[in-house]
Amino acid sequence: MSPGSYNGGAVVAMIGKNCVAIASDKRFGVQMQTIGTEFSKVFPVTEKSYVGLPGLTTDTQTLQEIFRFKANMYKLREEREIEPRTLSKLVSSTLYERRWGPYFVHPLVAGLDKNNQPFICAMDLIGCITETCDFVVGGTSEENLFGICESVWEPDLEPEDLFETISQALLCSIDRDCFAGWGAVVHVITPERVITRTLKSRMD
Amino acid sequence: MNFVPTALEFDTYGQNGQNGGVPTSLYFDPYDNNGGTALGLSGEDYSIVASDTRQSSGFDIYSRCDQKATKLTENSVLALGGFRADGRSLTKRIIQRMEWYRHAHEKEMSFRAISQLLSVTLYSRRFFPYYAFSLLGGLDENGKGVVCSFDSVGSYHDEPSCVVGSGSALMQSFVDNQIAFHNQQVNNEPISLEKAIRIVKDSFDGVAERDIYTGDSLDIFIITRDGVTTEQYPLRKD
Amino acid sequence: METNIIPRKGGFNFDNYKRNLFLEQKGLTLPKVTKTGTTIVGALFKDGVVLGADTRATGGSIVQDKDIIKISYIAPNIYCCGAGTAADTLFTTALISSQLELHRLTTGRQSRFNSAETMLKQLLFRHQGHIGAALILGGYDINGPVLAHIYPHGSSEHHPYITMGSGSLAAVSVLETRWTKNLERQDAIDMVKDAVEAGIFNDLGSGSNVNLVVIEKNKTESLREYSKPTPHHPKNCDYKYKRGTTAILKESIKDLVVVTDGEAMDIS
Repeated sequence: MSPGSYNGGAVVAMIGKNCVAIASDKRFGVQMQTIGTEFSKVFPVTEKSYVGLPGLTTDTQTLQEIFRFKANMYKLREEREIEPRTLSKLVSSTLYERRWGPYFVHPLVAGLDKNNQPFICAMDLIGCITETCDFVVGGTSEENLFGICESVWEPDLEPEDLFETISQALLCSIDRDCFAGWGAVVHVITPERVITRTLKSRMD
Repeated sequence: MNFVPTALEFDTYGQNGQNGGVPTSLYFDPYDNNGGTALGLSGEDYSIVASDTRQSSGFDIYSRCDQKATKLTENSVLALGGFRADGRSLTKRIIQRMEWYRHAHEKEMSFRAISQLLSVTLYSRRFFPYYAFSLLGGLDENGKGVVCSFDSVGSYHDEPSCVVGSGSALMQSFVDNQIAFHNQQVNNEPISLEKAIRIVKDSFDGVAERDIYTGDSLDIFIITRDGVTTEQYPLRKD
Repeated sequence: METNIIPRKGGFNFDNYKRNLFLEQKGLTLPKVTKTGTTIVGALFKDGVVLGADTRATGGSIVQDKDIIKISYIAPNIYCCGAGTAADTLFTTALISSQLELHRLTTGRQSRFNSAETMLKQLLFRHQGHIGAALILGGYDINGPVLAHIYPHGSSEHHPYITMGSGSLAAVSVLETRWTKNLERQDAIDMVKDAVEAGIFNDLGSGSNVNLVVIEKNKTESLREYSKPTPHHPKNCDYKYKRGTTAILKESIKDLVVVTDGEAMDIS
């Protein structure tokens, strides 16, 4: 047992054509026991950038507050919203600062920058950034997500098609992971709107 | 893998005399994991067994052309993941027992008989198991495709699709989605053999991208009423 | 939260250390960090130095990143390959490169290889090997081309050809066979490429592409994806789902305000 799989959870982010999507399961558990079914691990930081924080729930919540605070301070100081790439560096340096007493999270950042260019990245628990142009995954269902995303993801998906792809990838992955599941939520971020959908999934 | 067959290892408590100098631990670890992934799929009148050909340990590649799947009869193929030495020894033993059966009964073993044989063979080593995860694909007595997956001590059951080995977590969700249509509201036409083979290839391509122990080449065994045919497909070699 | 509200001056934060130690003593295993798993190579040639690296990052047996850049910028005339804990190599090289940039702005002179090497090894030695960065540093300054490796504990040595990481055993066989004094530029590039490819194919921790950096007098060339020895298969099937495949319980749409009138001032 590791702190990273104590509460369980799965988050995935994907790039589409001028859009990004980020999705999470909704289980909150303590080892094998499910405590809550309305706990999404994805949080908005600005209108067009979201951060996913699967991992130990106490750290998920602490970090969510820290990033909200830091992003607000950035906005006050700079008089502009933080860009997703800048946000990823903020997350990364916050984690590396605690190199020898890390938070047990596997953060994902997804968003559109000021030119509406898609950006996604993932990090390990000490802030090593993996930036890709296809998909990133995190949480206890990481392996399941890697496998299915590698096969079903394709470039230049329209927002509605990206929604289907990310939803199918997430739902099938959490079905094979006993620490994640119990509902899922997907955010599709386009230049015009953010579409948030709650998915129907197995509740076991 | 580590053998300490001749010398007993005294741990520090033993040496310090805190335990009266009695040996308190014996280090004996005869198992290794040689990686590799095997996939079994069954349709109405076919079944497919596919496995990659990489054999590895740690960060080393031992072989790029090690066949993990073996044709047993005209309607059954056995694939093994886990510890290769146990896998080979188990395959050899099953083939031997099948030959005795042939001499005793003057016929080939049926698929169901082979799966039961494999199960009891694995269970015979309940307290010193073969570290092998088996997958038996073939056609049952009615010509219907079946795939059975086994744990290392012989528990087994039929599944429409199953994956064993190092890439099993990566591949299983994808196969659930594409073969069993899990979580899909609109799609449920049965998969043709030809399409199933293409899905098998793509699923191994995907796993070879992300699992370091899967790669080099793919052996696909296709089992139909006409017997077993094989196909090779190249995978990543890095 | 207090510690997060007061701006920190930098340096590491040990607030969670005791908690994590407690969890470890309770029997919880700490999660794996991303390792580069790496083949990194450097070699001197007639009038410069070539650095080479693969592009795979692993976490356990899973490939975390297929196209990570392991050759970091230190100064315009100095680059550094990193092996070991990915975050450590990236942050260590970024820290030193920033200090050197400030030093250049103060002195108005080109950075010296020895400065970079000393700063890196002193940082690593100060942390007693806990920063898991194994580095190959290559550069060209007033003393000509130089190549050194720096171990996580802070020792360093100068050599004409070097390889590190889990693929170093495969790569060194190529270097030992083919390196000679005064290699031509192209021969050195080919040799380093082949050495990294040996690591890519024969070591499971290394993979994907070969990145190179060639540093010569007043000229640095970065050759990304110099070789792509493992082409990606095109897919055999189409996996685009029909719209409406996924069952939805609830939907909410947040329309964003799109400014179309006038141009916003660019303040980035």
